[in-house]
Amino acid sequence: MRTDTVISIAKKEIMDNIRNKWIILVSIMFAALTLVVSYFGSITSHGWQDLGLTISGMTSFATYLISIIAFMLGYATIIGEIERGSMSALLSLAATRFEIVVGKFLGLGAVLCFTVLVGFGFAGIVIGVNGSNVDYLQYMTFIGMTMIFGLVFLSISLCFSTVFSKRSTALGGTIFLWFLFVIILPIVFVGLLATSVDFTKITTGTTLAIPEWYYVLILFNPIDVYSSLITVTIGPVTSSIGGLIPNPSWYSPGLLLGVLLIWIVVFFALAVWRFNRKDV
Amino acid sequence: MVTQVIRCPKCKSTITVMGSPGERVSVTCPTCGEKGFYVFPGPQTIEQAPESSAIIVRNLTKSYKDFKAVDTVSFAVKKGEIFGFLGPNGAGKTTTIKAILDLIHADQGEIHINGINVRTQGKKAREFVGYMPEQVAFYDNLTALQNLRFYAEMKHASKDECERLIEQVGLGDAGKKKVGAFSKGMVQRLGMARAMLGSPPIMILDEPSGGLDPRGVVLVRDIILDLKKKGVSIFISSHILSEIQEICDRVGIINKGHLVAQDTVDNLGKKLHLKPQITVTVEKMSPSIEQAIHKVPKVDQVTVTGNTLEIICDAGTKAAVILAISTAGGNIINLQMKEPSLEEVFMRFTEA
Repeated sequence: MRTDTVISIAKKEIMDNIRNKWIILVSIMFAALTLVVSYFGSITSHGWQDLGLTISGMTSFATYLISIIAFMLGYATIIGEIERGSMSALLSLAATRFEIVVGKFLGLGAVLCFTVLVGFGFAGIVIGVNGSNVDYLQYMTFIGMTMIFGLVFLSISLCFSTVFSKRSTALGGTIFLWFLFVIILPIVFVGLLATSVDFTKITTGTTLAIPEWYYVLILFNPIDVYSSLITVTIGPVTSSIGGLIPNPSWYSPGLLLGVLLIWIVVFFALAVWRFNRKDV
Repeated sequence: MVTQVIRCPKCKSTITVMGSPGERVSVTCPTCGEKGFYVFPGPQTIEQAPESSAIIVRNLTKSYKDFKAVDTVSFAVKKGEIFGFLGPNGAGKTTTIKAILDLIHADQGEIHINGINVRTQGKKAREFVGYMPEQVAFYDNLTALQNLRFYAEMKHASKDECERLIEQVGLGDAGKKKVGAFSKGMVQRLGMARAMLGSPPIMILDEPSGGLDPRGVVLVRDIILDLKKKGVSIFISSHILSEIQEICDRVGIINKGHLVAQDTVDNLGKKLHLKPQITVTVEKMSPSIEQAIHKVPKVDQVTVTGNTLEIICDAGTKAAVILAISTAGGNIINLQMKEPSLEEVFMRFTEA
């Protein structure tokens, strides 16, 4: 693998996204949303919340938003270029398919991470200046984990971009995938959980006895893994069930981070494998 | 021995022909009596092709589900020559080109670029090639120069070369404009510039004149001829047959996935027994002139319209025909000769 080829492709992806103003729009959206959540997010007090509470409120938003943005960035990155005809030119210039996938992932990943960093970072500074309880390290941890979470969905969308033969079907598949992770899987998991847990007992302050298999099961949804990671490292976050569920003692930041990285690696490897077999 | 069912180009009735792969057989339609020939598809042997050829394709086969897009196609492009690759729409031209560049995975066959096996060392082989695809596309949000610089980085070409090439293809003023605002012809010119990045020794051009205005067509043709002068081997696919006839050293004709012919246009014309047409205008027509022409051996057809004679004869008989007219008292005031055109060759090879 030639590093300069990979860097050229990554640079092109970044430049393309700067030119179409994607980065600017999404960064503004992240910053605005964070500020709104921090200022209006609490019904018990008015004005700026501290960063910890803002993170708690932002996590659920981030799961929806980051996954959508990562999907939008990645779903057409391979098939879109094949359909337009620019992929054949790229491959004819002595770039390997592996270099193209790596370059695209790095470039789009940089775009995603930059928007998260700038959007959340700017909002964090505003909140820090106006709020009382400021823990920048905790906030930076949140930003870092959100970036990794975004890269999971970017990897998944990159893989999907190599699976379909048309941009339109890739878009359809990606929308379905988003519903799968954000809506269908949580409902299925909760439905399975309902077979062994009495939900009528959920009241404020109640600690539910969640079976161990449920904790294993939710590792198969990156959204739940991300929520659990934020809970384990920073503080409690509303779960997909809709209330607070305790995390098992074996949920460590390392494990949950490792699971997210496995998601990235597996789908990235699948993307390379599929693209290597694809006619352009 | 292979059996093939073909259709008569005149009455459209079906004819069953038998022969060996690559064999050319005479065919007479049992229904209307139309005479012609049929060339059985490959495998063509190219054992004679030197390993130093720019491109060697051996028994290339590629199917999409049940459809064989390319079937045992073999040919070689010699170093420094312009090889025209012709065929009707859907004949397998682009599939062949994509297989040469390893953009699609062939079911079987072997392809070498500059002696390097494309399947096993695709990246190394492609380093020798400049490619202009049929569907030229760039990144719309970037300027022409930014696009070209990106590709130059990939090809390890200099940035100065980008500016020079943009000038060469006539886009000097548009270099700093976004490609999204370009016309199809401008994109096509930029595609030609991209193919020339890094001065590759082999160029593969898929419909390079598509979407160009007449000035653009001339510009691209001049660039191609200039590249040939510099020793670049050029593999070109085009529908503009007159252009191909003008610039190509040899042509290959593909039809329904089979390479049905490859040679110089003149030789293909000879193989098809295509004959030149002589049009002679005399000062005063007389029956003796027509009789004199008929006496010349290998004259197929004589048509008289007023003082003008249209004669179809063998290439070697042309001088004898003109001499016969003069001897019979015909005072020639105008003489035109029409050699068999690539269009005729193409139509005949792709009609079955």
